[in-house]
Amino acid sequence: MNEQDDKLDDLVAAHKAETHEAPVHLKQQWHAAIDQAAALERGRAPAPRERWHPGSFFWGMAVSAAIAVSVAIGVFVSDDAIDNTPVPYLVENPAPSDAIPVAYTRGLQQHFRSSRQQLADLDGNEDAAMLVLRLVEQNRLFEAAADKNNAPQLARVLRAFEPILLRLAATDIAPEDAEALRAQLSFELNVMLTKLAKESSDETHST
Amino acid sequence: MKTLAKTILITLALIFAAPGLAQSDDRDSNDELKLAAIEALITAPADKALPLVSKVLAGNHSTEVKEAALFILSQIDKPEAQTTLLKFATEESGELQLEAIRMIGIRGGDGMSNLKSIYDSGDSDAREAVLEAFMIAGDKNSVFEIAKTAEGDDFEEAVEMLAVMGARDELRQLRSARGTSEALIEACAISGDLECLRELAADDSDIDLQVDAIEGMGIIGGDEVNAALVEIYKSASNEDIREAALDGLMISGDDKGLLELYRSSNDSSEKKELLEYLVMTGSDEVWSIIDSALDGDE
Repeated sequence: MNEQDDKLDDLVAAHKAETHEAPVHLKQQWHAAIDQAAALERGRAPAPRERWHPGSFFWGMAVSAAIAVSVAIGVFVSDDAIDNTPVPYLVENPAPSDAIPVAYTRGLQQHFRSSRQQLADLDGNEDAAMLVLRLVEQNRLFEAAADKNNAPQLARVLRAFEPILLRLAATDIAPEDAEALRAQLSFELNVMLTKLAKESSDETHST
Repeated sequence: MKTLAKTILITLALIFAAPGLAQSDDRDSNDELKLAAIEALITAPADKALPLVSKVLAGNHSTEVKEAALFILSQIDKPEAQTTLLKFATEESGELQLEAIRMIGIRGGDGMSNLKSIYDSGDSDAREAVLEAFMIAGDKNSVFEIAKTAEGDDFEEAVEMLAVMGARDELRQLRSARGTSEALIEACAISGDLECLRELAADDSDIDLQVDAIEGMGIIGGDEVNAALVEIYKSASNEDIREAALDGLMISGDDKGLLELYRSSNDSSEKKELLEYLVMTGSDEVWSIIDSALDGDE
């Protein structure tokens, strides 16, 4: 079992590297490894875990591979079960001002709404860990896009979501801890949704 | 007028949601109402929202409610908001302190300059939270400065955070300054620095580190790495290196390399080991190999 754990750790480490533009063969390889790691993870004995560990970023890495192609084409289309709406998030010719492109803001609002709904659907779901990883995937997409769309503050918020999501993806998390993390994330998503809606409304009224 | 009415409603909700179950971790209906009120504060003008948030933070409310208030503070672009966050990050303990540190990272800007002193004076949780705040803010340099002098677990955590942030140059500088270690090898792999790993994989002065580097190459993967791992396996001078190369190939998911080694081997115990690795990689070819092995063809 220890050897298997070591192998899992290796697989886990295999997906830590944070790169948003990876070669295609790596992306395919990471996809396969997500399944392997998840399968092994399910068979692993639980261990105490209190806070997020940076090593958990392997999940982010793994899923970032999945989004890399989408980054390249500028449109993210998620799995049917998650969200069918193509979300534009990169603007090839952003406005010359420092303003955040409207298309990005709309896409981000959709991401926040979708994330909130998926968090609500997590409770008792057998595939919760994989669903959370999909959320990480989407989150990374919008984080990368935020940096490219004059939105460093939004990028920071999105980066701050990820450690919480990764803690939530842990298979050994206690139900009450998971509930607390979901509640925290839902609150923060709601706040950001409200803030974005208000800013959009203010801009509309001022023009 | 609409904003004023909303602010009044929020105020009333915060006042009349009785704080009777203060500091309880259980989410009750009072907390639900308070959280809804706090959430609505994001729409209020900063000068209206700030005193209400401050009141919540000073009051007898649950940790969850106060954490929510801290998040609102992170979104208020006023120096007073930053001052309050710093106060909580330096004077509080436990979850509220950690959350305040996270909020400083989310907020970014001038408040970040205070994180180093919080790191220096804080416990291990606080130090970890500070590193996370630097990650949130995208501040590689501050993590690098910490890693330059940190020891033990603190060093490893800082190195891992640099790896997560893709700080290859900083990690190379650390390796030059502090020597190679398991943490730095892992960081090379996490940050995708193949050149670093190839150097270390060829260095046989410390077999454990050499093994780590070879395995780490599998983390990066790709055709170049896979070919190199097959060569390392073939030319390995001892079993540890050979096994590390196989681990690397498995981590990389390179069933072609493993198949090549399996087919070129004439040693049954070696074939058995290679077959185990092929099974672990989930190779499509493995079933025909098993079939052949059972038939005695291979």
